[in-house]
Formats: sequence, structure tokens, C-alpha cells
Amino acid sequence: MLGDEVEFTDDERDVDPDYLDFALNEWDTYATEEALRLVEAAGSGEVVVVSVGDEDAEDAMRRCLAMGADRGIRVEAEGRLDPIQVARALAEVVQSESADLVFAGVQSSDSVQAATGGALAGLLDMPSVAVVTKIELGDGKATVNRELEGGLVDVVEVDTPAVLTIQTGINEPRYATLRAIKQAEEKEIEVRPVGDLDEPASRVRKMFVPPKGEGAEMLNGGAAEVAQRIQEIVQEKLA
Amino acid sequence: MARDPKHDILFEPIDIGPKTMKNRFYQIPHCNGFGSEKPLNQAHFRAMKAEGGYAAVCTEYCSIHPESDDTHRVSARLWDDDDIKNLGLMCDMLHEHGALAAAELWYGGPHAPCMETRCVPRAPSQIPSDFEHLTYPKEMDKDDIREVQGFYVEAAKRAREAGFDIVYVYGSHSYLPQQFLTPYYNRRKDEYGGSFENRARFWRETIEQVREAVGDDCAIAVRMSTDMFMGEAGTQLERDCLPFVELVDEIVDVWDINVSGISEWGEDATPSRFYESGRMLPWQKAVKGVSKKPVLGVGRFTSPDLMVEAINDGALDIIATCRPSISDPFLPKKIDEGRLDDIRECIGCNICISRWEIGGPPVICTQNATAGEEYRRGWHPEKFEKASNADNDVLVVGAGPAGMECARVLGERGMRRVHLVEGQDDMGGIMRWIPQFPGLGEWGRVVNYRKIQIDKLKNVEFIPNTRLDAEGVKNYGAEIVIVATGGYWATDGLNGCTHDTIPGADASQAWCATPEQIMVEGKAVGDKVLIVDNDGYFTGVSVAEKLAEEGKQVTLMTHLGHIAPYMHFTLEAPNMHRKLHKLKVEIVTYQIPTEMTEGKVTSAHVYDEEHLTEWGVDSVVLVTQRRSNEALYRELKDSVGIDALESEGITGFYRIGDCVAPRLVADCIFDGHRLAREIDSENPDVPLPFKRERHVIEREAVLA
Amino acid sequence: MSVLIVAEHLRGQVRPITLELVSAAKELGEKTAVAVIAKDPASIADQVDVEGVNEIVSVKVEQEEFENDVYLQAVEQLISDRSPDVILVGFTVNGMGYAPALAAKLGIGFASDVFALRRDGDDLVAERSFYGSKVNAEIDFPGHDRVLLMIRPTSWQPAEGDGATVEAELEADISGSRARHADFQEVASGGDVDITAADFLLSVGRGVGEKENLGQFEGLADKMGATLSVSRPLVDQGWMPNSRQVGQSGKTVKPKVYLALGISGAVQHLAGMKTSGTIIAVNTDPEAAIFNVAHYGAVADLFEIAEELEKLY
Repeated sequence: MLGDEVEFTDDERDVDPDYLDFALNEWDTYATEEALRLVEAAGSGEVVVVSVGDEDAEDAMRRCLAMGADRGIRVEAEGRLDPIQVARALAEVVQSESADLVFAGVQSSDSVQAATGGALAGLLDMPSVAVVTKIELGDGKATVNRELEGGLVDVVEVDTPAVLTIQTGINEPRYATLRAIKQAEEKEIEVRPVGDLDEPASRVRKMFVPPKGEGAEMLNGGAAEVAQRIQEIVQEKLA
Repeated sequence: MARDPKHDILFEPIDIGPKTMKNRFYQIPHCNGFGSEKPLNQAHFRAMKAEGGYAAVCTEYCSIHPESDDTHRVSARLWDDDDIKNLGLMCDMLHEHGALAAAELWYGGPHAPCMETRCVPRAPSQIPSDFEHLTYPKEMDKDDIREVQGFYVEAAKRAREAGFDIVYVYGSHSYLPQQFLTPYYNRRKDEYGGSFENRARFWRETIEQVREAVGDDCAIAVRMSTDMFMGEAGTQLERDCLPFVELVDEIVDVWDINVSGISEWGEDATPSRFYESGRMLPWQKAVKGVSKKPVLGVGRFTSPDLMVEAINDGALDIIATCRPSISDPFLPKKIDEGRLDDIRECIGCNICISRWEIGGPPVICTQNATAGEEYRRGWHPEKFEKASNADNDVLVVGAGPAGMECARVLGERGMRRVHLVEGQDDMGGIMRWIPQFPGLGEWGRVVNYRKIQIDKLKNVEFIPNTRLDAEGVKNYGAEIVIVATGGYWATDGLNGCTHDTIPGADASQAWCATPEQIMVEGKAVGDKVLIVDNDGYFTGVSVAEKLAEEGKQVTLMTHLGHIAPYMHFTLEAPNMHRKLHKLKVEIVTYQIPTEMTEGKVTSAHVYDEEHLTEWGVDSVVLVTQRRSNEALYRELKDSVGIDALESEGITGFYRIGDCVAPRLVADCIFDGHRLAREIDSENPDVPLPFKRERHVIEREAVLA
Repeated sequence: MSVLIVAEHLRGQVRPITLELVSAAKELGEKTAVAVIAKDPASIADQVDVEGVNEIVSVKVEQEEFENDVYLQAVEQLISDRSPDVILVGFTVNGMGYAPALAAKLGIGFASDVFALRRDGDDLVAERSFYGSKVNAEIDFPGHDRVLLMIRPTSWQPAEGDGATVEAELEADISGSRARHADFQEVASGGDVDITAADFLLSVGRGVGEKENLGQFEGLADKMGATLSVSRPLVDQGWMPNSRQVGQSGKTVKPKVYLALGISGAVQHLAGMKTSGTIIAVNTDPEAAIFNVAHYGAVADLFEIAEELEKLY
């Protein structure tokens, strides 16, 4: 997470880490909650939280553990990885865990790639549905709601095991009590080395603060013309 | 963070007379209950504003002579050399922060009853004060006039010696110079009364004399009320004020402009209930239109955008604040640093003013628990020491004013983790529904500020929609537990008059309601409503106003002789009465219900129990008294027991706010703040002794 | 060098993102083909026959509506058949379903939420944001001859006009769909107003003046299909509940369209809405801070604009 001040690394390809704050991605709280609910409803099972990153990632993982996840696995990796590399780093772990369901958040609030979950499904050749707002487990399959732009819901039947990317608002994430947070500190986070990440799918040439106040496109003319233009823009952007 | 360039103008220096202000922020003269006789409290209180960035800071009204004695209310005094010493400390501390010091030289005339000095005040005409009705002045002859003008001169010299940079010849609020100017006070037939020139003469001469005495070294400020809203009897803008400005503009270095007289000075110190910020700008602009000198004035300014607008609009050169400087002495710094969401905005409740009006107590502030505590408890509004027991997790149950403030300060003090747990879906507690009353929207800033600050604190987590029972609290995993579960309005008519319930009063019935039921649950109320108000502050009248605005026929009954007497101290009473009158609310005094039932209430006269009255009503609203929500605390302490809590690792167990005893929001916030400041003291339950500024004698030495 | 665009459609209608992708492709000035994967490609093909499209490739499939595996297989086969250098897909819910999976499987270059692109010699350069849109970055794809880009909706204008298009077909071999469309459900509305769920917010501030004027804007919001939200001063006044408040101490919103009337743009307010999709601001003050974050602005009287808008709806 970046606050209001920013400085870049010397090569101008990333933000100086001193200016970053780490927190659990909002989407991941919903995903964790959904996983916990499904396991609780089933009466048995396990919620494992997996992340790729350095030690700084463990704080966020401990939040998931405090909510009730059973254990964590961190794939040790440093620096900026693109989402497909992250998916490659996750693939081996996910495969070894033989999960019935794999959840990812739809996107992260910092990079907004919205790709890790999908890429993971592609690498493991697993069925997947993106932007899920409801899950009903069945036998060998699940009925899920996929939330389209504008709010229309697409009801999808998906074979399991599957990768689902979870949308915010799917549930009310529980809060962890202080006891749970303390207990989470004792829970196991296994660290595994990263495998072969292959070439990155993209590379940052240069990072910069967007030029400020390119400003609004000003609508000129009388009230009637401005109103007309506003109507057009609204229609266009809502489509 | 950087300052928004739009606000740059607020940081441009400006000359006033022989002095220069480093920016446009000015703490206008205002009371704090400290005067010259609590000099350490006084100096530390004022210096905090200078530290917060104010370029000029004033005393409260500063008496120039024992004849101007406002006891029981506390003014500053510059009567003798010892006063010079005492107030000199304030000047020194202000100068250390690069701020100018100003003394508002004051002679009250008959408004100051001289209950300590037993002197007789002087005035232009012998009419008892409209503020202190028992006080008559001596009618001044020419010798009196010269003498009193001499008092101003001597006081100005003392002020200079103490180190003040600015001296006032203060007339606003119907004090002496303005009394001469105003026909309501001045019925003289000599050259000091009658025509404008005559009425202006005293003030003009006094300014001239003060200027001659200290004008090279000090800036001369004049505080004037432009309009008393009393028609021709009062000061009027066009007839008196603007011509006066033109008359003396050359010998004045800065104008301090407001409106109103003393008996309705709530038109100047406007409660947010009735007025928005910047209420006086039109009058301030009018003065600026005729003056070549800088003009300053207040307007309950909290928004830097509004301040900039006032300057750009040609209404003010200098932005003065009183109440916003109490709620946040660091307002200027925060604007300078672009930290606008850290500004703790004044809510315009006038609790601070009420302390002065009551007479005696030190200033307090709903928003700022450290106001008045700078010296005696050593509290700094922006600085918090890391708690020595910071290695603990804290559970605060209840996110009302006390809980929010406690969690916030605990967070600032570096407690490892603070969980603020609340049953409702958002923070605020009682301050979620009180601001829903007509006119009280700005009071919601109490919640806004704390929401933003708590959001910023990484070690404080807000957990809504969670109602913890005793087991839940015990097992939560905190080492320190603080219960802040608030209070509620009595449902059975229990009241401070009879010390009993009211037979038949039962808020579980459809025809009987409490304020919460109406505001939070939306309980319906019939067309004819009787409100029983034994409270004495705003709740009863606010319910009356709300229901009357909805078209109900409202009767507001109190056992007291006045409705909502505390609102006299907050300056809200006159306009509140006007409003209730306009809404045709029937006000009934000296009555206490003896019984109530659906459709009928019977009441007795407080001084004649036999004298009964019957009221036919559809609904009754009980605003009789409040009770603490003690249940959770009692269960934890009595049923679960301290030992059981300790064995769960809970080493500290406290409660704060209304759930201890219902009180002002200001006091709830203070309570939460104090506990957090003293969470690492040996016994946080018991407030640490504060420094008492008093005269302590050496017994033997005195008797010897 | 060629570009392949995957058309997106819903219930027989092409979605505007598709036409925006055509405009995006124009930046590269290369041969551009649009692939229509549908049960009835012909009806969709008509809708994408616009200027900038050289070829329309129809892929007939059994499925009525979008299904992940169908597009995954169809697009992979399209790529194999036609060897495009650049594949453009909308950064949409559908796109999220299959595009990252495809890019990962094929090991090609990939970037999402792209809002600008260009050629730098032989290199493809795209622009996206990072860190919650606080910084932008130019990215490229060294070592990748083939790149899939997911394009942010509304970054380009939809292409129009007539294309001089060639029609082609591809027979795709779809060996099953593991996530199958079963039904559509309209979203039920009602209950407490949740301004964070609205796609279109009409927001008013101090410019509204008197409480009595609020009714006019409530009516306008209704007509325009917007949800009414307010800035803090109106909540302070008690005219509206806090649940309608946009801002730091109210709610943070990210609607597709945020129409701000008479809001100056205090820092605390901006914090609550500045990442909205499209911000249109109307204020009489040309210096109002809201114009710094708005995409469209008008220095005008909000009552006059409101009156004119009422006539149009």
C-alpha cells in the first residue's frame, strides 16, 4: 500500500520500499472467510493460506490464520514478480496440496492485475470462474454466481476441483479476537523455496508519478449543451 | 505532506502597527478561567496555541482597575506590578514560539458587579446592567472620565512592561467605550452624549491617550461591535460603527470586528445549532470597506478554504479563532503541513463558554480533552508518551465518545494492540443520534475526527457489529479490558426532583417513549405530545423542536423555573426560546407528573402539591434522567469476578464514560482520555493528582 | 504484425469494450482482426464491422453465452491458426475468466488494466498503474514476440463507422466446458441505500444551498437512474443521513460514473471518490479542487444544469 508520498528506487523501476505499507489485501479477507465458512459447513476440512513473497508477507498471512485458517505456506521470493510468475511460484504448492477448491481474490488493491488466480488455473489446467459472489458446493461440482459489470449475475456450474477468484462483498468477514491473533502467532507457516519462474511476462521500464492536473476535459457552451454532453458521457460510461 | 498552495495566503506575514505577525492566524481574546492569578496555567494554555502556529495570542478580557471586577467570572488583571510579573510569563512563552502577545484592556462598567473588590463601577449613565441586573453604576462626571481614561493609560503601560505587543481598547460586548457610543447605555446631555461625535468622544480620546502612551512600542487594537441588533437604541453599523472606523482609523493599528451586545452575545459566539461558520463576514467586510488598516475577526472558522475565501473576498485580513483554537491549538500547523484531516474541528457546542458563564471553573472542550490541562496535568494535544506497559493488548467495549477517545489515545501511546469493539455497525454511540437533532449536525464532528484518527492508527482495530457478553470479554484475549457501554434514558420516569419513578410511566408502552426510542428506533409518537424534561440541558428542547417541526402539538414540562437552564450558559437560550415560541411549543414550568396512563398525565405544582393539573395527551416522552448501562460491567465484576478475569490474564479492568455515571459528552471524552494517559500509572482507576496553582503558606513563618 | 481482438458480447449484444479495443488497436497501425466466438456469430459480426477492422473471424460454438473453457480453447486455436503478435482482450469479468490462464499456459507476454499503448521501434510498450493508481508505469515485454493485453474499459472511445472487412471462419474444436453457464439473475434492489454498490452516483454538496433544494436533486437522480449521495456539509446540517455521505468519514465509492454538482472537492471528500471510473464535476468556481480529479468539468450553475438535465430524461 502506498501513502501520499512516494519515492522511486534508483533505477526508477519501482517504489522505494520505505514508502510502502503492508496489509492484507481486502479481497483476501473475503476469500479466507468464504473458505472458512465452507469448511465449517462441511464439518471437516482445512483452510491453508499460501502466499508468495518475503518475510513481510507473513503479517498478512497471520491475519488469515487469526481468522481461523489452519496453516500457511510461504513461497520465498523477493522483488517484483508479474502475476504469471507468482502463479508459477504457487503452482507447485497448490498441486502438492491437492485442494478441493483454490481461492484467490479477484485482484489486489495495489497492483490490480486480477490475473494470478486465472494464471494459476491455466498452469494447472484446472476449471476456473472469476469474480465469484456466491458458492454452493455440490458433488464433484459447485454452483457459483459470477458477477458481471452492471450487477447482472451469471449462474455457473463448475466442475471441482476448481480455481475461483472471490469478489468483495460475498460475505461478512469475521474479525479475529486478540486471543485468535495471539494464537495465530504460534501457527505454522512453512517456507518453501521458489521453483523455476521462467521469463517474466512483462517488465517495468519506468515508474513515475502520473502528471497531475492534466485536468478535466472542460465542457463548454451553454447549460443546454453541457447537459447534453453530460448525458452522452453518462450513457457511454455506464454501458 | 505539503501545504496546499491554495492556502499560502494564510501564511503570509502582515504588519500591524510597529509589529509583524508571521502568519494570518490570531487567537482572539477569550476566557479560560485562569486570569492573572493562575499564571502558570494561563501561560501554558496560551503558549500551546503559539506552539501550534498561531502568530498572535491574546489574554482574556483584562481588567485595568479593581473597579472592573467580574467575580465570580474570571478575567485577567493588570492592576499592579505583581500582575505584570504573572502575565509576563505568558508573554515570554509566546515570544519563545515567535508569536505576538496581546492584552485586551477592559473596563466593564456595571456589567462587572465587583463582588470581590467591592468597588463601584462607573458608566456614562446610571442604569442598572442588562446583564447583571443588581449592579448600578456611578454616573461619570468629567473628572471620572479623565480618571478612567487614566486607568487605560496606566494599564497599557503595565501591559507594555509585561511584554505585550498589542494592547486593546476593548468596547465590544457592551463594555465601557462601547457604552458611551450606544444610546441604550448613554443618555448624557453633555459633550459625551447625544450626537455621534459626542458618543464617540470617550472612545476616541481613550484610543488617542493609549496610543500616545505606548503606540510606538505596541500595536493598538480596537474591538468593536458593529451592530447590537437592538435597532436604534443599540450600536448600528451605518449610523455608529462605520463612521467611528473612519473617525479613528488613522490611530488604530488593527480592527477586531464582531456583532452583538453582552446579553445576547451568542450572536457573536454563535452556537452551531443556529449559525454556520463565518456568520459575521458581512459586517467584517463592511468595516474593511472603510478602513485602511488590517481587519480581523472570528466566525468559528475551521475550514481553511473558508478562511482563504474570507481573505480573498476582502472581508478579513487576519483570521481570528477562539473556539476552534481551543478544540485544536494546532490548527495553523496542520493547515501548513497539509494535514487537514487531522484538524480537530470545533463543533460549536459552546461548552467552553458555559464554564465562563457559570463563573469560576477552568475551560473545558468537548473535542479536546487537553484544553485546560496543559499545565495542571501536563497534557499536550499532539504529543503522547509511549506507555511503560505498552506490551499489552487492550479491549475497549463500546465505541461511543469515551471508548473512541480512549482507544485513540491508547493507540497513540503505542499499546501493542487495541481492539475497539462495538455492537452497532459504526462508531459513535450516543453521538450517532444526537447530531440527528435539528441543528446539531456539526456535533457529528466528534465522531468524524475519531473515526479518521483511529483508521490511521495501525495498532487500533475497530470491530463493529459485535456485541460481547461477559464470557466473550473474558475470553477475548486482552490483558487490559475497558468497558465503555454508555447510558440510556430512564424508562420509568425516575427523576432528580422526586427521586422516585413516576407511577404509570413505562416506555415499553406504545404511548410512552424515551429520546433514544424516538431517535434510534424511530418509535412513533402521537399528535399531542407531552415531554417531561427534568434534565435541564438540550435533550428535552431538541425533542420538542424535532416533534414540533414534524407537526406535533408539543407541551414541554419541567419541574424547574426555566426550560433547559444550562442552555443559558451555552448562549443558546435566546434563540432556542424564539424557535420554540415560533413552533408553538407550550412551555410549562414548576410542574412534576404525579402519575401517567395512556391518554392522560396528571401533574402537581412543585410548590403546591395539592394543585393538580390534568393533561390529555397521545404520547409522553420521558426526558427525566439518564442511567448507566452497567450490566456488562456488573456481570464481569460481580458474577465472573476479578479473580476469574485475572486468571485469564486480564491484569487491568476499568470502565469509563456514561456507564460509570451519565455526564456531558465533554466529560466522557475526558474520562476516556485520562484513563489512556494514565494507563501505566500504578492505579489507573484513580486519577493522578493534578498540579493545583495555589498559594501555600509557611505556617510557622506566618505566625512568627 | 497483426492484432487479434476477442469480441465480448452478452445476450446477443456486443459490449462497447469490443469497439474500444478496435480504437486501441489503431494505435499500433497493424492489420486488425476481430474474433467473434458465439452460437450465432453472424448477428454479432454485424455489430463489430467498424472502421479499423480488417477482418472478422467467426467461430461457431454450441454455447449461447460466455463460458471460460470455450473461450480458452477457441482463442488458443485462433492464435495458433493466425499467429497474431498482439491479442487484445477487455479487462472485464469475462476477460479475467480466461485471458490470464491462456497467457500463462502459452507463456506469452501479458499485462492487464492497460490504458495506453504504443510501438517503440519493434517493442510494444503499454502503460498501467500500480500501488492503487498512485503511480503509473511503462512496461514492455522483452523476449516475447507475442503479447496478450487486457485493456481497461473506457480508456479509448468506441470505434465507429464502416469497416471494409473481410470475413473468415475458423472451425474450433471445443472439447468440453468445465464451467457452464446455467442462468442469469437480475440483481434485486431495495432495502437500505448502499451508495458503495451504485454504478452511478449523483452527488451534491454545499452548492445546493437550502435543504428545500435537495428534493430537486433527488428527483433528478431518480430520472437519471442515479443514486443520490452527498458531501459532508449536508450531513453536518442534518439534511441527509451519514449513510449517504461520500468522504473520509463517510463511505469510499468507486462508481462507474460520479456526477458531482456543487461540490468543491475538500480533501476528505476527494479521498472518498477520486478513484471513480468517470468523474464529472459542475461547479461555479473554476478553481474548485474537484476539477483536479474530474475527467470532465463544467464551470456552470448547478441549478441551470440540473434544469437542462431534467428535460433530457
